[in-house]
Amino acid sequence: MAYWEIIFYWVALVAYSLATGGILYSFIFKNPRVMPKTFVLLAAGFTGHLAAIIARFNATGHLPWSGHYEYALMGGWFIIGATLLVGWRNKQLQALAVATGPLVVVMMGYGYMQNPDLTPMAASLKTVWLYIHVYFAWLAFGAYSLAMAAGVLFLLKKKDEAAPVRNESYDRFPSLGRLDELIFRYVVFGFITDTIMICAGAIWAKDLWGSYWNWDPVETWSLISWLTYGITIHLRVTFGWREKKLAWLAVAALSTVIICFFGVNLVVDTSLHMFQVR
Amino acid sequence: MFKKLVKYLSSLRFTILLISLLGIVFAVGLWVPQKRLLKTIYLQWQEQSPNLVAFLDALGLTTVYTAPLTVTLWAFFFVNLTLVLWQRIPVIKKKITLTPGSIVDPEQAPGYLFKGAYPLPERVGNDGVLAALSKNGYSLLGDAGGFYGVKNRLAPIAFALFHLSFFLILLGGLVSVYTEFVGYLDLAQSESFQGELNRYVQDPMPKMPAVGTPPDVSFTVKRIAPRVVRNTPTGIDVELVDSAGKSHVVDINVPWNVGASSFVFKHLGMAPLFVVKDPSGKEIDGAYLKLDVLKGKQDKFGLAGYQFTTLFFPDYELKKGKHSTRSMEFNNPVFLVSVAHEGKKVTEGVISRNGALIFDGYRLELRDLLYWVRFHVVKQHGLPILYFGFALATIGVIWRLLFYRREVVGAVRDVDGRRTLVVAARSEYYKSLAEDEFNKLFNSIVDNGRADT
Repeated sequence: MAYWEIIFYWVALVAYSLATGGILYSFIFKNPRVMPKTFVLLAAGFTGHLAAIIARFNATGHLPWSGHYEYALMGGWFIIGATLLVGWRNKQLQALAVATGPLVVVMMGYGYMQNPDLTPMAASLKTVWLYIHVYFAWLAFGAYSLAMAAGVLFLLKKKDEAAPVRNESYDRFPSLGRLDELIFRYVVFGFITDTIMICAGAIWAKDLWGSYWNWDPVETWSLISWLTYGITIHLRVTFGWREKKLAWLAVAALSTVIICFFGVNLVVDTSLHMFQVR
Repeated sequence: MFKKLVKYLSSLRFTILLISLLGIVFAVGLWVPQKRLLKTIYLQWQEQSPNLVAFLDALGLTTVYTAPLTVTLWAFFFVNLTLVLWQRIPVIKKKITLTPGSIVDPEQAPGYLFKGAYPLPERVGNDGVLAALSKNGYSLLGDAGGFYGVKNRLAPIAFALFHLSFFLILLGGLVSVYTEFVGYLDLAQSESFQGELNRYVQDPMPKMPAVGTPPDVSFTVKRIAPRVVRNTPTGIDVELVDSAGKSHVVDINVPWNVGASSFVFKHLGMAPLFVVKDPSGKEIDGAYLKLDVLKGKQDKFGLAGYQFTTLFFPDYELKKGKHSTRSMEFNNPVFLVSVAHEGKKVTEGVISRNGALIFDGYRLELRDLLYWVRFHVVKQHGLPILYFGFALATIGVIWRLLFYRREVVGAVRDVDGRRTLVVAARSEYYKSLAEDEFNKLFNSIVDNGRADT
């Protein structure tokens, strides 16, 4: 890791951890006033996070696109960025950080333990298709993470409404109806970007590997993930799956994306998606 | 019975079942080593657990992506898709057609979840209400006395486009599979190729197309220049000259596409010219060889009845008595050659360009050092159909899911002595979020006489 990258990475990780702690405190101790402050902390961490990415870019000459550490670095940035964006546009949605915050802290911690070494970009990654493919992959990951976060909020709020003593913190959340629709909206956004990601990947694969589809583990798992979200959309639109069912589905479906990004390469060392520099 | 069967085959329940089963099948393919994809691992596994592998082979789980079960699931999937599309086309036609029957009383309108009444100021005329809706993208029917408006009226067509794209992808995929030729071709610098089948690597054997012919392409490899910057391979320039004398450069990510054939760079190796001279100095054997020795790999060759085992160092140095390379750059290329005769080691030594190794009175000379490349050669038709399918899928999914329909029925009425816009509205997919949108729209009409949303 580059010198400034280490510093800003830790700034971001500490800020996210503190923000996550603050959000959890706000929920558990029913103190809604803490939430906006934690959001400021999250924004500060996001700035540090961006600085870490810039420092790494400066050291390697390319954006962090490959390897578990770089997946975590960029993926975390997209997820927190999306959380800040929706929270900035709608204050009620700041609470999404209750799920995205811990997810990113775990991701970044995991990434740091993997391979944070500075490596030049593999020759196979030098193509415009990389930017299209990976950019849309991260957008999809960000949107699906928000869908999961909205699902978590929905489930918490629903449980709270049934409780004899209510937690005031949940009053700051959007209504259940809105959360339910937000889950669907984020899933839709993720599904669209996921579709573009898969199509762009197939076209790139034809130039790089000679075949548009290779049944590579990452490819296959991304197809499973896409099908899972496709089913989610169908269940919602046609079968009217809403509320708790949809919320649980959004939470569970994210596991397919996490497996695709981080899990496949843990158990398989034959993936074409492991872009070796040497 | 038949009707029941068709009803089930065209149901969404069946679609979801099929997609779930396909997902499970794909997941199985990740855990069970696939014969075609992971040949080495599969063979090792077969050696260790012959009974288990034989059992899984019999079930088709080691070729799961092309197993009869998978093909059957895909077949049912497309039957399902065809029936769904067939049934939905009249519904789509009906949905996109504006009919006077759509104009209903907004206060009674069934299925319209949003209802509202907005007193209209003097400055907003009846026509202004309709003009504002029209400006905001609503297609309108009727007049201020009773109207129906729909935004993104054609959105249901996108459903058909998205699902149609699956057929195009299937068609493109089938055409490409049945017309596909796949082979590996090793060519050194200055070597020519005239499309001969026997020049392809035989292990793995080239895959011949079920329909069509192998690539009929002629060219010469003019130049091979790997690029290594700061000890990192950054690319390669493989210059090909075709039969018309036109030059083409192949790089990583940049194949040479000629007609339906593409030549993808796959692998780089060293092509040295080794010559063996007898004790009298007479050349007795020699050849340009294709050695797969980069990244520390060992390779073997035979000349003049001797067996040679080689290691290659692109930037050679002798460090603490050990042969090593300073970097991956080709600054000081050297072969470490071990010579054996009838299984017995004769000698070992390093040879650089124009250098020699003496053994048993013979000389092994390295006269020239070139590169060779392995091309992944693929010829297949149907890709334009496939890519068109991808494009259609992307357009369809964006259109259907982002530009969804909003419908409004309304009338300008006299309510409690005030001219009032009475409306009912509904949106696909959303209720709560659509309420905001409708409120904003109608308030904007009332406030400004125009819709800004």
